[in-house]
This record gives sequence, structure tokens and C-alpha cells, in this order.
Amino acid sequence: MTAPRSSSTTSGLPPAAEASIQVRHLNYFFGRGDLRKQVLYDISLDLHPGQIVIMTGPSGSGKTTLLTLIGALRSATDGSLRVLGQELVGLGNRQLVEIRRNIGFIFQAHNLFESLTAAQNVEMAVELTGNFRGKRQQAVDILSQVGLAERADYKPAALSGGQKQRVAIARALVNQPQLILADEPTAALDKQSGRDVVTLMQHLAKEKGCTILMVTHDNRILDVADRIINLVDGRLESDESPQQFADSHAPKSLDQKMFIL
Amino acid sequence: MRRTPLALLNLIHDRKKFLTSMAGVAFAVLLMFLFTGFKNALYDSQTQLLSRLNGDIVIINRLKENMFVPRAFARRRLYQAQAFDGVEGAYAIYISDARWKNPDTRKTRPVRVIAYNPSDPVLPMAEVLARQQELRLPNTAMIDERSRAEVGPRETGVITELADREIRVVGTFSLGTDFASGNGNLIMSDQNFLRFFANRGPEEEERSFATADIGLLRITPGTNIDTLVQALRDGLPQDVLVLPMNGPEGFIARERTYWEENTNIGFVFSLLTTMGFVVGIILVYQILYTDVADHWSEYATLKAIGYDNAYLFGVVIQEAVILSVLGFIPGLLISALFYNLGAAVTGLLFQLTLRRVVNIYMMTFIMCLISGAIAVRKVQRTDPAEVFGL
Repeated sequence: MTAPRSSSTTSGLPPAAEASIQVRHLNYFFGRGDLRKQVLYDISLDLHPGQIVIMTGPSGSGKTTLLTLIGALRSATDGSLRVLGQELVGLGNRQLVEIRRNIGFIFQAHNLFESLTAAQNVEMAVELTGNFRGKRQQAVDILSQVGLAERADYKPAALSGGQKQRVAIARALVNQPQLILADEPTAALDKQSGRDVVTLMQHLAKEKGCTILMVTHDNRILDVADRIINLVDGRLESDESPQQFADSHAPKSLDQKMFIL
Repeated sequence: MRRTPLALLNLIHDRKKFLTSMAGVAFAVLLMFLFTGFKNALYDSQTQLLSRLNGDIVIINRLKENMFVPRAFARRRLYQAQAFDGVEGAYAIYISDARWKNPDTRKTRPVRVIAYNPSDPVLPMAEVLARQQELRLPNTAMIDERSRAEVGPRETGVITELADREIRVVGTFSLGTDFASGNGNLIMSDQNFLRFFANRGPEEEERSFATADIGLLRITPGTNIDTLVQALRDGLPQDVLVLPMNGPEGFIARERTYWEENTNIGFVFSLLTTMGFVVGIILVYQILYTDVADHWSEYATLKAIGYDNAYLFGVVIQEAVILSVLGFIPGLLISALFYNLGAAVTGLLFQLTLRRVVNIYMMTFIMCLISGAIAVRKVQRTDPAEVFGL
């Protein structure tokens, strides 16, 4: 456990650029009364535009909780959490829904409606912006960017696992969000499809200048990250570049940790 | 471009499931149609003879509370009524029950005999008017082709016995049965009525032209019915009741009200209709809940990407409304079939009026809405945070 606990503002882009996500002293609890249990301890973190950040950590470490807090899917109560310039702590449900519309979500399961074609699934996201006239064009455009132009009118049942996940990514990207949150996007995919998916995400992040925060256990894709954050027991354990991460997690010195990963 | 019709597409995506859902709603619709159909048929049938009678004002015995009560009144009253200004014609109708022998099985069944002078326009049905001459022949009658099958063949030329006396059927007409008619109806001339019922034996009432069962008054055009009715009530002795034919206080309404208030038909069939309604709620709830449960993670994803509860509520309610329409149509068609079948078997009057169709559709709609409102709670409780880390 040699990794230093890095200060929250240093890694990645120069500090001058405004952070997409700015977390300060965030604590989070589940349950109430006697059953109240703290899952996140004093998290402070900055993520900058154009960065791909991978969050790792053993299960139960609070990764997913942190992801859902940043995604405005839970309401934070303690500390400060600024996402895309908006303070989330203390917001009501209705305002959280508004915030979520500016975030792209990619899940472990593709969660596509079987009854809708690939294009229609993507259009569901476009409709949130109120753009009904151009939705078909937008959906087809983004689907061709993820390499599925030919499959726009196929239903999910006629697509492979990798293709379905790419439709889900298209749905997350179609409104050009400044922030993309992904939860194990490659877990259900084979090696090649998983690689294709993250390469695609990397490519799009650079092109559109958006921030990607990804929770993953998949060691095969760590190299696409600009930063790797390690969360253990609700605390920020390390925040380093992939190279540092690889060194510090070299099998020789950290056999036990590899098991946890 | 419109919104993606998610509700419709979700419903019809799985064809087999969609057809089952539609059949479920159609079944509930059928139940409601059948039970209200029976209720209405029983009520409507009580007045189908009365509403065909060609008169504006009715005179009956004060004690004749409904058509089932065999109380006659003095025919003199009709002649007295004829003297009033505005009364154009007064016709006597004689009604009696008699045993009819089924010519095939030789079993006797009670039927209702309606008799009047064939020259009087009492029942102006084309079939009846065409047979006026035949009706004047001795021992003849016309039979209601909608009589129950128990009376045997309902056709011209049948020769059998009525009240132990030979009778020949010279024609058919279409009326239908009710509580008072027994197994069917016969129409005969007043002269024949005397032949059959003047002297039926010691236990039976002897009928004559001195009494009539229903008196029909035709009024001259332009006469105010209400004033004339009032005048007749004031002028005639108190042993008869004078009623307008139509209107809320009329003869037809009174007959219907009697059966509504003095039988359990209304209660029983309303209860059954309500059960059909409840069965429908459960079926539709099951359908919608399954849809929501099957697509739980997709709906949660919609919530995660920024759709609010109102949108999801809309989707489930739309599914409910689509089901109510698509299930109603086959339900209505099958019900119409059953109505025809029921009318043919029982001789009761099954009427599928626009108002009743609209009523049942409203019930179906409300049924689906209630189910939708219960099922939607499942979607609204959906926590979008749970889609992560599944």
C-alpha cells in the first residue's frame, strides 16, 4: 500500500480549467437511526473535461454509491458535490431529474427496450431535449459513429451483445453530454467487443471533450484511462496515472490486492 | 415527427402475450355485456308488447298492478270514455292464459292469448294486418314466432289444441316473451276469444265482452294528452285507472318500474356486472404489472436518463387505454353474437343500444384506468439508482 493519497486537484489537466465534477468532503450514509452506516468518508475529487477516469476498488467499497451520487440518482446531504457547475447537495428530486438530462449513462446491462428498434431506443433520449423533428437524423448519425448505421432499424433481439452495448452508448452520447458515467460497460462483453466499446468511448471523449467516469473491474481496459481512482472502504485510496497504477499493483508486490480486484 | 409510441410498441411487441391480454379484456367486457344484457332484456321484455300497442291513453282495472294480474274492467268504461272530447277511438283488448298443446310432444304449455276486434288498429304490425281475414275465421290464431321452442313449431298451418279445443295457426308475427306471457303469445279475434274462453269449465273464469283487460284510446290530433287524461280520471268511475301510454308516469314506465322495484333482477345482475368489472380490473392489472415488471430495468433507465414519473405514468395509462379499446372491440362483437343467441333461445328482448355500448365502454375504460393506476405505483417506486451495480 505504497500509493500516496494524492491531493485532489493535481492530476490530469491544469487546474485552471473548470472541473466537470468537483467533490469536497463528501460523506454519505445508508439507512437511518441505529442502522445508519457510513459508506463514503470525506471524498474530495476533481474531474476535468476530456479526461477518462476509471474508478476501481473491491466490491462494497462505495464505487457505485459515488457514481450514483455524481449522476444525481441519489441526493447527497453532506459536503459539497458540484456537477457541471451545479451544486447537487440539497437539491430536490425534480431538480435532480433536470441535472440527469445533461449526463450520459451507460450501464452494465444495455437496458434497451426490446420493442423498439436501435434508432427508436436512441430517439427516446433525443426526445428529452424536445427535438422531435430531427430525432431520427440525430439517432442515425450517432449510430453510424458507433458503427451501427446498417443496424439502425433492427430490434435488440437481432443484435449481438457488443452491438447492443454500442446502441446503449449511442443513447448515452446522442445528446452530447459533458459528462458520461459508465458502470462496468464491458462486463457482459467478450474481449474484442469490450475493447471496441472502450476505444469508441475514448475516441468520443477526446473528440467531444467530455468527461468520462467509469467503474470497472476489467483489467483489460485500464490503459484507456487518464487517471485511475481506487476506492477502498469508502475512502479514496489512490489517484494515479495508469502507469503508476500498473507499477504499484505489480503482481510481485501486491498479490493479495489482485485477488480483491 | 411524434414521440416514440412506447406504450403501444411495448404492448404489441410480444404478439402472443398481446393477444392473451386482449382476450382478457374482451372477456371482462363480455361478462359485463352479458349481465347487463340479461338485466335489460328482462326489463325491456316486460314492455315489448305494451310499446307496440297503438294507443295514446290506456284504461285498466285499478287493481291491475302489472301485466301479470288478471283483473279486467267493465267495457262500459270504454264507451263512456269515447264520449269525451278528443277521443277518436276506444278499443278493447282481451288477454288470457291458456294451455297450448305442443303438436310434436303432446305436452301442454301455458301461453298468453291477446284478442281484439281485427278491425281495430290495436297491433299495427304488417304481418298481423295482412292476416285480418284469416283471423276472422273460427278457431284460428296467429302465433308469435319468437315464442319459446317448448311450444313446438311456430309456423303457419299448425293444427293443435288450445284450452282443449282445436286451433289452427293462420300466420306468425314477431313479438317475444316476458314474465306474463308464459311460453309465447297468440293473437286471435275477439270472437274466437269468446269461443275459447267463454265457457272453459267450473274452475276457470268465464270471459265475456262485458269486461276487457286493457282499453286503448286513440286521440284526435292536436289534443293535449295530459288534460284529457285528467278529464277522464275526473269523469270516469274510480274502478278504472287512466294512464297515458308514454312518458315518465305512463303505462309502459309503470310496468317497467314494477319489475324493477319488485324483483331481485336488478340487484342480482348489477352484482354480477360488478364482479365482471372487478375481474376486469384484476386481469388488466396483471397484464400491466407484468409489463412493468418485465421492463423494470428499462423503465428505471428512462428515469435515470431524465424521464420523470409523469412520463412513466403516461406510458402505463396509455397502455391501459389502448387495452380498453382493443379489448372492447372483440368483446362487443362476441357480446352481439351472444345477444342474438340469447334472444333466439329465450324470446327475451336483447337490445344493444348505442347508449348501452357507450356505458359499457365507459366502464371498461374506468376499469383499465383503475388497473393502470395501481400498476403504475410499481414504476413510480422504481429507484433509478438501482440500475447501477446490478
